[in-house]
Amino acid sequence: MRLASGVCAAIATAALAGVAPAVPHVSLDPNAIGKAPISDWTTFNGDYSGRRYSTLTQIGPDNVNQLAQQWVFKITGVGAQRGAPVPVIKCTPLLADGVLYITIPDHVWALDARTRNPLWHYDWVDHGGHLVGQRGVGIWKSTVYFLTPDNWLVALNANTGQELWRKNYADARKQYFSTSAPLIVKNHVIVGVGGDAMDMPGFLDSFDPATGDLQWTWWSTPRKGDPALKTWPDEATSDHGGGMTWMPGTYDPELNLLYWPTGNTNPVFAGQGRPGANLWTEAIVALDLDTGKLKWYFQVSPHDTHDFDNTTAPILFDQVVDGKPQKLLAQAARNGFFVTLDRVTGKYLVVKPYVPLDYSSGLSPQGEPIPIPDKDPTVGGSINIVNASNWPAPAYNPKTGLVYVNSVEGKAIYYLTDDSTKPSGYGGTGTSIGHSQRVLQAIDPLTGNAVWKHTYPNLNNAPTTVGPSILTTASNLLISGDDQKNVIIYSADKGQVLWHHEIGANESGGVITYMLDGKQYILFGAGDSLYAWSLSQ
Amino acid sequence: MRHPVVLGMLAAIFATTIAAMGQEEPSGGQNAQQQTPNKDMTPEQRAAATRSFLGLGPEPDKAAATRGTQLYQKNCAFCHGPQARGATGPSLITSDEVLNDDHGEKLTPFLKKGRPESGMPAFGTLSPNQLKDIAEFLHLQVEDVANRGTYHVLNILVGNAAKGQAYVTAHCMSCHTTETFAHIGSTFRSPDQLQRDWIWPMRPGDSSLATTATVKTSDGATITGRVTQVSDFRITLVDSAGQTHVIDRAPGVEVEMKDPLAAHQEMIMTLTNDDMHNVTAYLATLK
Repeated sequence: MRLASGVCAAIATAALAGVAPAVPHVSLDPNAIGKAPISDWTTFNGDYSGRRYSTLTQIGPDNVNQLAQQWVFKITGVGAQRGAPVPVIKCTPLLADGVLYITIPDHVWALDARTRNPLWHYDWVDHGGHLVGQRGVGIWKSTVYFLTPDNWLVALNANTGQELWRKNYADARKQYFSTSAPLIVKNHVIVGVGGDAMDMPGFLDSFDPATGDLQWTWWSTPRKGDPALKTWPDEATSDHGGGMTWMPGTYDPELNLLYWPTGNTNPVFAGQGRPGANLWTEAIVALDLDTGKLKWYFQVSPHDTHDFDNTTAPILFDQVVDGKPQKLLAQAARNGFFVTLDRVTGKYLVVKPYVPLDYSSGLSPQGEPIPIPDKDPTVGGSINIVNASNWPAPAYNPKTGLVYVNSVEGKAIYYLTDDSTKPSGYGGTGTSIGHSQRVLQAIDPLTGNAVWKHTYPNLNNAPTTVGPSILTTASNLLISGDDQKNVIIYSADKGQVLWHHEIGANESGGVITYMLDGKQYILFGAGDSLYAWSLSQ
Repeated sequence: MRHPVVLGMLAAIFATTIAAMGQEEPSGGQNAQQQTPNKDMTPEQRAAATRSFLGLGPEPDKAAATRGTQLYQKNCAFCHGPQARGATGPSLITSDEVLNDDHGEKLTPFLKKGRPESGMPAFGTLSPNQLKDIAEFLHLQVEDVANRGTYHVLNILVGNAAKGQAYVTAHCMSCHTTETFAHIGSTFRSPDQLQRDWIWPMRPGDSSLATTATVKTSDGATITGRVTQVSDFRITLVDSAGQTHVIDRAPGVEVEMKDPLAAHQEMIMTLTNDDMHNVTAYLATLK
């Protein structure tokens, strides 16, 4: 707050002197990256913990009905992209030194946060890759990092948009494609990759932020000589085993560990050619930041056959367990299980379904859900759950101690379309059956039980891929939305609807909040537009 | 290099469908809106749209690939497997040589020389046209793996019809009559559509399946009708006279909804795969 009022005073002085506010200059102290967001938002999740929690309290339950739209920035002049008839903002905006950075596939904009005017626009001409989404940029000092659909890490001057350098880290012809936001930690730019059409292995790369030199690579599946190979029939199958790293992970500075979620196993639906647990796909892995070496793993979906990409954010927080403060990690996994782990050791505290499901026969001694083979996709069809969560960000509020997730309850019939002994690619398909319902849940991470739920009424099925992220604040707010263009603010402790407003499209990216010139803003993308809200004067 | 196909109209039409099968979604469509464009497409359109969305290379020449099948099986399958997915030799699905080639212009000279240093013989005795046919066969194998728009369900009629009939008798007749199921086996284009529809009928085709609601407004009036939209904050009804009512769900407004498919939703949550297969096998016999 002190910082914010200081900025306010500076602006007032400038106004008195009759001086127009200067064009902002971005020069971010690397030590500020990943700290609790106040007047900046420096990483995908705001800080390194993945909580999407703000300490700001100017906007609270008592004045939320005074929220008013301040400005809208609409993306124009882009048109249809491959697979996307209109641009959809799926990024979480970053904010540094008064400049906002937003993305869609192939495009970055820097906006003056005070005027919403574009300062620059970077337009990439891709040669392949999917244009299904783009989660945002990373920032370090005066450099912005952007991932292209065809797997280039591009470094841009944060103040001019001028390209500094580019590095290609994966082959788009092999169906690798990138949508992620790079995670900047110390002198590392951590880059993950997507793409599961051709049975390629997932990996995580670390690059030098100044030079773009590759520092290390961690592969999502084991190679020759690794004991984890016993979870695969052979090395060739492991080498084609998937496990993409397409969502940003989280980081604990004290332990110097990255926590990364890994995607689905390949071949996707046809598991008959890869008996075994198929490590380290469908897992949460703890990696040493400086070496990329695996410290521990917890596999949330052993031997996945349902495209249960385990890529929902692993959230870091501390709570008292049995009278002792403990470093914990929680994930509302896409396979329908809520998982709470000791993030020092990877040992589990809670593994419990948070949507109705019947595909698991219990937990292994390590706490991993054991799948029932009859629930695997078959030629005749097999009923299982739709994805219970996806990339839209969950949140954690330290004041309530609750994890918040927009979950989906519903079923699909999964068909095996390749019943050969050596399937490849997806090898199957699925079709939803019955009504899929979106339910906002507030889950106690020490029990796995929902303390409150809010079911969004809707005649249409809840899409699992799009949908609002969640932000929660110290003033007991939870900001999210429905599939019918309503921004909704709830009380974080009880789930009471405090305020709503219908906008032009469904919220489609991350919600952030920040102080600028003494005013708290709430900012989010919805469809092709970015919306800024604050209290009316 | 196999350049990604440029954006086509089909890609835009198909966008919502294919999104259901990408990294962000599980499998086939996760909701009705996403299936609609899919149903209106021919298999060729579906394949082309998915090819464009995925940025796959040009469409393989199927006639050439068919000619190349025998040549491939005779000359290549021993090392690379019958579908080029690898055997003693590597899988060719993600091979640089295959992916760098469009229609044999690079693969033909490569195959002619082979790669003797790593044990791959030269195929100099085959004609350039034969080598091109092998190249197209390989491109088709890549297509069959990577282009999930070409996937199709296999013969899903795996159940026991007699057991299916017993299930229908035991579970369905409190709401339905034998009339409901007469000729149902000839109503659908494919068994998987039959399977989907008996479990969860398409609502737009049958207004009797629409969700209805009775709304008591804050001034005490009661409105009943077919629900066309409902959220936390608003409900839209069409009454029996065809008039549309948009009602804010303000404090004091009571909404009671009725879904004629509620029993089916309940069934879906517990239906076993065997029961599903058996009933589908039975209903498929009712032509």
